[in-house]
Amino acid sequence: MNAPAIVGLGATVMSTSPGGEAAALAAEAVGAALADCGLARSEVDGLLVGSSQGVRPDRVGVQLAAQAGFGDLRLLEHIEIKGATTIAMVERAVLALREGVVRTVVCVFADAPVRARGSAGSMYAHSGGNSGVRGLERASGLLGSVPTYALLAARWLHVHGGAAEDLCAVALAARAWALGNPAAVQRTPLDADGYHASPMVAEPLRRLDCARPVNGAVAVVLAADPGVGEGARVAVRGTGRAHPVRRRRTGAESWFGGGRPAVDSALGHAGMTRGDLDLIELYDPFTVVTLALLEEYALCLPGQAGELARAGQLGPGGELPTNTGGGQLSGFYLQGMTPLHEAVVQLRGAGAERQVPGAGTALVGGLGGRSDHHACLVLEAA
Amino acid sequence: MTTTQLTDWLLAPGLAPDPADSLAPLYTGAAADELHLPHCAACGLALELEQRVCDGCGGAEVIWRAVAPAGTVHSVTVVHRREPGLVLAEEPYPVADIELASGHRLVLAPVFPGTAPPAIGDPVAIGFRRLGEVAVPGFTTAPAAHDPYPEEAS
Ligand SMILES: [Zn+2]
Repeated sequence: MNAPAIVGLGATVMSTSPGGEAAALAAEAVGAALADCGLARSEVDGLLVGSSQGVRPDRVGVQLAAQAGFGDLRLLEHIEIKGATTIAMVERAVLALREGVVRTVVCVFADAPVRARGSAGSMYAHSGGNSGVRGLERASGLLGSVPTYALLAARWLHVHGGAAEDLCAVALAARAWALGNPAAVQRTPLDADGYHASPMVAEPLRRLDCARPVNGAVAVVLAADPGVGEGARVAVRGTGRAHPVRRRRTGAESWFGGGRPAVDSALGHAGMTRGDLDLIELYDPFTVVTLALLEEYALCLPGQAGELARAGQLGPGGELPTNTGGGQLSGFYLQGMTPLHEAVVQLRGAGAERQVPGAGTALVGGLGGRSDHHACLVLEAA
Repeated sequence: MTTTQLTDWLLAPGLAPDPADSLAPLYTGAAADELHLPHCAACGLALELEQRVCDGCGGAEVIWRAVAPAGTVHSVTVVHRREPGLVLAEEPYPVADIELASGHRLVLAPVFPGTAPPAIGDPVAIGFRRLGEVAVPGFTTAPAAHDPYPEEAS
């Protein structure tokens, strides 16, 4: 049997202005992905839906099947593993295709946090509720998601002897890539002075250390049968998941540990090693996460992520091309669809100004919770 | 010595936690200026606040009891973004992730306004803020490190 492949890719415009509701955006991205590979809705028998959790009442779900004009389906699920959802959706599709349960699966993620009233930051500050651990954290002034990652970033820099320059270097690399990506929402050139002029949100994280929420959607179409779809295919060579249960106790470290098996698994399926990867597309909601994941996934030598970033190796022309569309930081924040979309574009050779020459393989990572959920794919140009 | 303030300097009362939720023993203890945290009844292991089964021995009985109100700073940030209507403080405020002597971890704000951010590794003591009707734990640093606003202390 042929390896399941991504045969279609579709996206809406990524908007930082209010407008669009999640279901309409999702339907639009699905339509674009099907058009991309020349399929009709009637030829789709699987639909997997992902949405941003918790924050918004109008999240997309299984009702999208009816809303987006599909007919009868054999697979329909709303998957929810926080930020790992999107990459896990692709894994779910791959497994269903391998089992022969379905022939053509659409995976879509949509989000619309940007509203006319109040900033996205304001909406995040107001969400989270008053109960449980989160209620206590919010009562301690931990509003929105930035202060939580600021605590992680402060600890990271303390333990690794790093400095704000490490975070700055990640932000600059992301922006340098975004300059070549028409879909990126932050495309003005950025230098270190510009980074340091960015407002502090929660030390050490500045606004430019944080992902940029957008209203938008991305969809992909997967099939194993070479007769399904037309155009460039990107094979899913391997998938991996890791859900480490880490205890927040005295003496335990703040981050990670336990994510590496997801990468090992995906590479193992693919029969590849880390040295075979041409592109690294990670989930980067905050600059510090890029550094931490490079080390957690053993994509660099221990303790070297900051140095790699400062040496420009993550950016255009670097040895370890990472988040080549600008990532979530300068590109757009659509959870795992951000790294997945970029990997497919690059492996199709459609990256234009930002195309990494000769890119044939990519690692794509999804990350959920506070680095509690890891989902990885190894993709290869087919 | 008490470190409970009558009104909160940091946040609007609408952010008060639900004192009847799964952390109720913590809030009941806090109202009496005691820090109550969950342990495994069988083996005594310090449990996470919403943990129901002990990862050490598999025991399913959780007991909340008073622990020493002391710890060290695991990490610390200073929050500059202050959401209007939610944050009352007029200056950036520190928040610390604290490793307690009991083995638990809590993310806490300072009890007192004007507290300078502690450094990672610094010792802190646990006191209590009163947010709306609910007492919540907070941290205090060495007396010289904050302006205690004595007229507001109870
Ligand atoms: Zn036990």
